[in-house]
Parts: sequence; structure tokens; C-alpha cells
Amino acid sequence: MMSYDFSVVLRFSDALTLGLVMTLKLTVLSILIGSVIGFAVALARTSSNGVLRFICATYVEFFRGTPVLVQLFWIFFCLPLILGVELSNLVSGVIALSLYMGAVSSETFRAALRTVGPEQHDAAIALGLPSHVEVTYVVLPQALLRAAPPLLSNSVSLFKESALVSAVGLADLMFVGQNISNTTGRPVEVLTIVALIYFVIAFPITRVVTVFERRMLRKLKA
Amino acid sequence: MGNTMTVAPAQGDGSALLCVKGLRMGYGPVEVLKGMDIEMKPGERVVLIGPSGSGKSTLLRVMMGLEQIQHGQITFGGDPYITADKGKTKIDIGVRKKIGMVFQHYTLFPHLSVLGNLILAPCKVAGESRSSASERARALLERLGLSHRVDAYPAQLSGGQKQRVAIARALMLDPKLMLFDEVTSALDPELVAEVEQVILQLAAQNMPMMIVTHDMWFAKNIASRVIFAAEGRIIEDGPPEQVLGNPREERTREFLERVFHIKT
Ligand SMILES: Nc1ncnc2c1ncn2[C@@H]1O[C@H](COP(=O)(O)OP(=O)(O)OP(=O)(O)O)[C@@H](O)[C@H]1O
Ligand SMILES: [Mg+2]
Repeated sequence: MMSYDFSVVLRFSDALTLGLVMTLKLTVLSILIGSVIGFAVALARTSSNGVLRFICATYVEFFRGTPVLVQLFWIFFCLPLILGVELSNLVSGVIALSLYMGAVSSETFRAALRTVGPEQHDAAIALGLPSHVEVTYVVLPQALLRAAPPLLSNSVSLFKESALVSAVGLADLMFVGQNISNTTGRPVEVLTIVALIYFVIAFPITRVVTVFERRMLRKLKA
Repeated sequence: MGNTMTVAPAQGDGSALLCVKGLRMGYGPVEVLKGMDIEMKPGERVVLIGPSGSGKSTLLRVMMGLEQIQHGQITFGGDPYITADKGKTKIDIGVRKKIGMVFQHYTLFPHLSVLGNLILAPCKVAGESRSSASERARALLERLGLSHRVDAYPAQLSGGQKQRVAIARALMLDPKLMLFDEVTSALDPELVAEVEQVILQLAAQNMPMMIVTHDMWFAKNIASRVIFAAEGRIIEDGPPEQVLGNPREERTREFLERVFHIKT
């Protein structure tokens, strides 16, 4: 029977930390950029311009309907060929995951915008609020509050999906873990620890989402 | 109080507070308001009654600038502010802001506290300072018996409290005319009185108002004038003693008997 030696992993803690930092950098950037794209696309899909609506809908369906791994490969290998520019691994990764996050979160924002009912619009008009005040102080805060819990869930998913970038050679936590496990020949110890790191970060957030969601819904149910 | 006894065609003379002239409005091809003329004098409290679907809410929404109209004009204090013009509805927002409205279904902003609901428009539209608006809001809430709920959120309020806050929110803008559309219809019976009491208080201060209600007691106590409308037309218009007590029109009589079981 084989004996496990987790102290092996300790020797590579610096490398793992670097990998984790890369994963977090990639994920946080993609979440921020992706959420902005998602909100803009959700608003654009309520526009009266049919062409704009069609373009946005196509984008969303395409990115939701294809494997993230294929999107990653396409952006890493095809996009530089088409654009004729070299993109660093991190930039390519951020572009790919941001576009994916944008498509997913636009659906989240779209649902949240729909819950702001027409009576809120009537009230805004009856109070003489111009439309920019209505959007900023009435629609946006309610949509954001409603979108926050599912958006956090989207973010946790993205954090986990980001491990796919290791397949295109971006030195994230997964990539580093794989390398260490290959060089040490101790996949059980190394990959278990890598899994635990992902879990320790993702799990508390999913718990927060649940609590937050319950509070939020109670507050907004007017 | 000078009540109009008949359905006089509204004249846009300077003494009228509100003047609706030749108002026609439809949702798509279906005409809902089929030519309405109303002239309201300062200080009048008009109660609007009529069967479901007769266009009462629609009339109030039009007066508030919430709907497009196909024909006619509405003036307030002599200034035209809603005008049908070649299929478009022109709205003068400066004039319309003198009118406040409270709806049947609570339309408070759920993400803002009671205070936040009251000061949003004064601060963001009228440019009033936060401290001055808050001070006015607290004084107003005190008068309406809501001082203890200043920091509550709408979801924590009873229906009656919500409607009183909605009234306070409208009053913050110092309206010269208030529109109430069945503001007690969604309330539990025991909460109706507290809201009606607030509106009666406003009446005692001579606030002009137009009220849609199905509450007979309230109508009799608040109205200086009653308009009965059916199918988008004004059928009868006069003092409450006439319209509610001894209607001239057969349709009014029939409606009162059917809905309120009042034998006239
Ligand atoms: N948004 C809308 N789209 C299409 N038709 C509408 C709309 N709102 C109201 N209507 C129609 O307009 C007519 C008048 O409606 P309105 O709500 O003004 O009646 P009401 O007198 O207020 O009735 P109630 O006593 O039931 O409140 C009704 O036939 C209604 O179906
Ligand atoms: Mg109605």
C-alpha cells in the first residue's frame, strides 16, 4: 500500500501561491468586465432597435451554447490570427472569460430588470423624476440588489471554470498543480490540495449567497 | 362651494383650476375615453364613480401624463399641459409637476426607507438639500402619525402605513391638486379608516382633489362634487346630494342600486 506524504506539497507552496494569484487575477478581472458587459447587453436587449437586440441575442446564445473550452481555444489560437496581433496569455484568458461571463450575467441582469414593475415607472413619473434619475435611483439599485445573489453564483462558477485555462498553458492554480504533480509523481497529494484550495474559496461565497438572497428577497417584497 | 350642476362644456377661463376639453383616449383601436369635458374650480373635491372599466383610472392616468391621448387638451391653472397634437401627446412637465397622484397598488420604492422615499424627488429633482428635505419629511410624517416609521422599509409597513407614506411622498412636492385612484381598495377593511382620515385632513386644508372610490361613506364625506362616468363618458355631474342622493339619470340610479344597494 502506498503512503501519502502531504509535506511534498509544502515545498511547492510558493509556486502554488503564484498559481492562485493568477487564478484570482484572471477571475476577478473577468467578473468585473463581464458584469459590465452583461448589464449593458441586458439594457440593450430592452432597446427599440431591432438590429441591436438581434446582435446581443446572438452573442448571448452563442456563448451560452458552446463549450467554454472551445471558446478559450478559439480566442487563444484564432483571435490573434484574425486580428494579426500577439495577445499575452492573461489578456486572452481575460477576454475569453469576460465574454463568457458577459453572456451568462446578461441573463441574470435581464431577469432582475424584469422584476422592476411598471408601477415603479408610474410612481417615478408621478413624482416628476426625469428618466436619468429614474434609471439611476429607482431601476438600477433594485436591479442590482436582485441580481446580486445570482451574480455571485455566476462568479463562483466562473472561478471554477477558470481552471480550464490551464489547457491553453496559462499558469493558473490548476496548471501549476498539474506541473507539480507530474514532476513529483505525487498526483494524489498535490491535486487533493489544489481541489481543497478551490473549495475553501468557493464554498463560503455560496453560503453567503444563500443568506444574502433570503434577506434581500424579504426586503424587496414590498 | 360653486358646483357645476350640469355637464357644461368646459371653458378655459382663468377661474378654473383644471380644465379637460374634448378628451379622447384609447389603448390601440379600443376607445376608452370617448370625449370628456370637466372643469374643476379651486378647492373642489371631485369624487369619480362608475362601473368597472368605465375609464376612471384611465382619466386620472391621463391627467398625470402617464398615457398618450388621441384628442383634446387639459389645462391646469390656465396653462395647457397635455395636448393631443397630430397623434402625439405633448406634456408640459413643469405644469404637470403641480399635480400629485396616489395609486391603488403601493408604489413605494422598496429599496429605499420611508425617509428615502420622501426625499428622493425633492433632492434629485427640485435640488433641495438633504437636510432641509429630511426636516420637512419628518414634520410631515409626524402629522400623519408615522414618526416611528421614518427608517422602516416598505416591506416592514402595513398596507395602511404604505398608503399614508405614498400620500406623504406626493405631498413633499407641494402639489396644487391631488389625484387618488382607489387608494383603499387593496387594504384590509380595518386599515381603510386611517388612510381615509389622512385624505379628510387634506380636505379640511382645502386641498383640491379628484378621487376614485367605491366607498360610499367616504364619497359622501369628502365630495364637494360627484361625477358618474360610464363607458368613457360623463353621465352625471353635480353635488353629492344630487348624484348620490337623487340622481337625475336613470343610469346613475341603476348603478347606485346595483353596486351600493342604495334605493334612491
Ligand atoms: N394598459 C391597458 N391596455 C389596454 N387596455 C386597457 C389598459 N388599461 C385599461 N384598459 C382598458 O380600458 C378600460 C378602462 O379601464 P380603467 O382601468 O380606466 O377602468 P376603471 O373605471 O378604472 O375600472 P375599475 O373600477 O375596475 O378600476 C377597460 O376596458 C380596460 O380593460
Ligand atoms: Mg381603476
